[in-house]
Amino acid sequence: MFVLKNAWKSVIRNRGRNILIAIIVAIIAATATVGLAIRNASSEIEEEGLQSTKVSAAISLDRSKLISQAKSSANSDSSSSSGSSGSSGSSGSSSSEKPDFDSMRKQLSQSSLSLAKYEKYAKASSVAVSTYYSEQTSLDASTNFQPVESSDSSSSSSSSSDSSSSKSQSDQGGMGGQGGMGGGMANSGDFTLTGFSSDDAVSAASNGTFTMTSGKVFGYTSDSDGDVIISKALADFNDLSVGDTISVKKTIDDTTKTYKLTISGIYKNTSTSSTSSQGPMGGTSQDADNQIYTSVSTLEKLGIDSEASNADDTGTQLSYTYVLGSDDDYNTFVKDVKAAGLSSKYTVSSPDVEEYESSLTPMKDLSSFTLTFLLIVLGVGAVILIVLNLFNVRERKYEVGVMTAIGVKKPKVAMQFVIELLIVTMVGLGVGVIGGAVAAKPLSNQLLSSQVSSAQTEQTSQQQQFGRSANMGGAPGSSNSGSSDSSSSSSSSSSQAAPSMPSGDNGPGAAGATSSTKATSYISSLNATVNLKVVGELVLIGLILTLISSLVGIIFVMRYEPLQILAERS
Amino acid sequence: MTKSSENTNTAVAQDPNEAPAGIPVLSLENVAYAYTKGGKKIFHDLTYRFESGKVYAITGPSGAGKTTLLSLLSGLANPTEGQVLKGGADLAKLDRYRFRSHDIGVIFQSFNLLPSLTVAENIILSIDASGKKFDEPKAEIARRMLERVRLRPEYANERILHLSGGEQQRVAIARALSYEPSIILADEPTGNLDLSTQDDIMDIFKSLAHDENKCVILVTHSPEVASQSDVVFQLAALRRRRPAQQGGQQ
Repeated sequence: MFVLKNAWKSVIRNRGRNILIAIIVAIIAATATVGLAIRNASSEIEEEGLQSTKVSAAISLDRSKLISQAKSSANSDSSSSSGSSGSSGSSGSSSSEKPDFDSMRKQLSQSSLSLAKYEKYAKASSVAVSTYYSEQTSLDASTNFQPVESSDSSSSSSSSSDSSSSKSQSDQGGMGGQGGMGGGMANSGDFTLTGFSSDDAVSAASNGTFTMTSGKVFGYTSDSDGDVIISKALADFNDLSVGDTISVKKTIDDTTKTYKLTISGIYKNTSTSSTSSQGPMGGTSQDADNQIYTSVSTLEKLGIDSEASNADDTGTQLSYTYVLGSDDDYNTFVKDVKAAGLSSKYTVSSPDVEEYESSLTPMKDLSSFTLTFLLIVLGVGAVILIVLNLFNVRERKYEVGVMTAIGVKKPKVAMQFVIELLIVTMVGLGVGVIGGAVAAKPLSNQLLSSQVSSAQTEQTSQQQQFGRSANMGGAPGSSNSGSSDSSSSSSSSSSQAAPSMPSGDNGPGAAGATSSTKATSYISSLNATVNLKVVGELVLIGLILTLISSLVGIIFVMRYEPLQILAERS
Repeated sequence: MTKSSENTNTAVAQDPNEAPAGIPVLSLENVAYAYTKGGKKIFHDLTYRFESGKVYAITGPSGAGKTTLLSLLSGLANPTEGQVLKGGADLAKLDRYRFRSHDIGVIFQSFNLLPSLTVAENIILSIDASGKKFDEPKAEIARRMLERVRLRPEYANERILHLSGGEQQRVAIARALSYEPSIILADEPTGNLDLSTQDDIMDIFKSLAHDENKCVILVTHSPEVASQSDVVFQLAALRRRRPAQQGGQQ
């Protein structure tokens, strides 16, 4: 007990030095508080993640892998054939040859997943998964139903080019159908007819959100077959209203069929996507106003759905999207799907998760930077405290000698020293925590915003270098964002006029579209508040620092015999 | 070897029921001490008994090992050979910290007071260290002790730094007496005192021995102190005695 009293008295007596130590501890503690608060907040954000958010996922084709496979198989084919002719230099000659486009296209075309396969994977999932899909095909105008467009020449030209384009598409097989590259050609009709499986699919429409100006959205049962909704602009352009029937054409294998559809509703796009501009390459079908929406059931009835026998010729493309409850579910889903036998040619990706993860980048950078900084501060702090304590104990050598000489046991003397340091440390810690708590939030947001702006600067410099936004992740600042990873085939369309460019029948078109409506925005604010956990961690750090630094004192006290110290003195 | 006015061959009296005076509280049994192992021995084969109720004066020329002997008696050092017995038990095997804080009051030659503490704090520190419980408040004990060594009460809150050598010496004595140890060890306790204070202090020591039946052991150069003691234990320099040692007693 008297040890405590003595420690307290000693602290009071050596005010100057103890204030110095307390200030050092306070600085360390304040830094540590900010650091821990930042790490705490960011780990919370990471943990929470997309826990309560719906995550959409899609299965897409790993095309580069497929192509390399096709190439190697082509090589082996040619080498085996030339091997029969006895040429040993066959492999060299075959590799110098032109790539075997046909076999690669064949490979790619065979690789599109069917609706049944998609559904099989949904069933294979051990976590709750809801699905929706849409199918997209192009249609041509009829005499009494024309697309919205600025020049009337395109009508004839498009219809004339129609056959050639659909022909070329069928020639190219899956190549055009697979990806965004050929997508434009495949859909160079006048309208895009999109069949949706459910309201979820509609709300995830690549065109963005819309509201009905009159009528209702079609149903999904066979009762509603033939019902479509068209844009207000298209309705006005053709002077149509709800209940009217429209006729559209489609050319399949040089045979032109005419389909009659009933307008059940007229919608107006509410998303920011403008309706005006479109690239010279795109047909009028890519104009947002020329989108006709219906149910997949209608497409089936018309025989132009993706499951139809002539699906390759109709150019109907399937976008299948899985919706999962959280990113944890997503990870489980990825595993389940792999286990269910999804070929390695395909990858499961979630633009939501990717988007989210990239939005965390500055925060993660800050967090790891903070950890490094924290360790350095603690290390330097510990060294300073050890040195101070070393001087302190050396200075008080005589005191140790006298105390032990009058019979105070060494552990008690050592304990007094530890308690003294602990009192000072705790005072410094308290001051530091308060200071750190006050500074944590503004400081962490300041640090984070500089991280975000450095990420943006990088983005901008890339943009200057490329003359456009580079495909290196989202650019929150740039107006023409929506650059997406082309390998995952997500469509790049967020702010472009013709967002409906079908990205192929390999799925993520719809998912990509949903993600691109929300441009990447980095997490730019951290709620770095100091809670009990942080305080607890700090007290622990304080205790450890105290013990480490007082270890010197303890060793010193334990090592010397009183006589030795007193003899040195006298 | 050692000259003493007491008979060193007296058998150790172990019976606690014996008359209070004359109980050997502290004894040296064939004690030898060297600072370093195998080094020069300060003294050799020392046997002596210190009994309660008496004032002992250990005298001898410089270098005879007086202060070393005091360190051995106070348990600050262990003898290289032989034993220091406290009431018959080997001090080296006892809790020497408890012995120092509880049973023995040491007045060091250099006082060993804590300069940053006040007079009262120094005294109270020793009382605290002894772990003994007193009815009287500790501050009161300190005040009484100061009075006993002829220091005015206002000294209680004075820092040791501000005191003269003589005053410090008296504080050291007050501190050694404060927790009522049964043995008082003092190294030149009157070295810094004028004659009248010296007499006062000697009176205190004598009263401690004779009235309170404590064992008081003084290390001194002063013939006056020696003459006022009950027993004088003459410690001769070892190197002078070396030849005599060979044919000596024991």
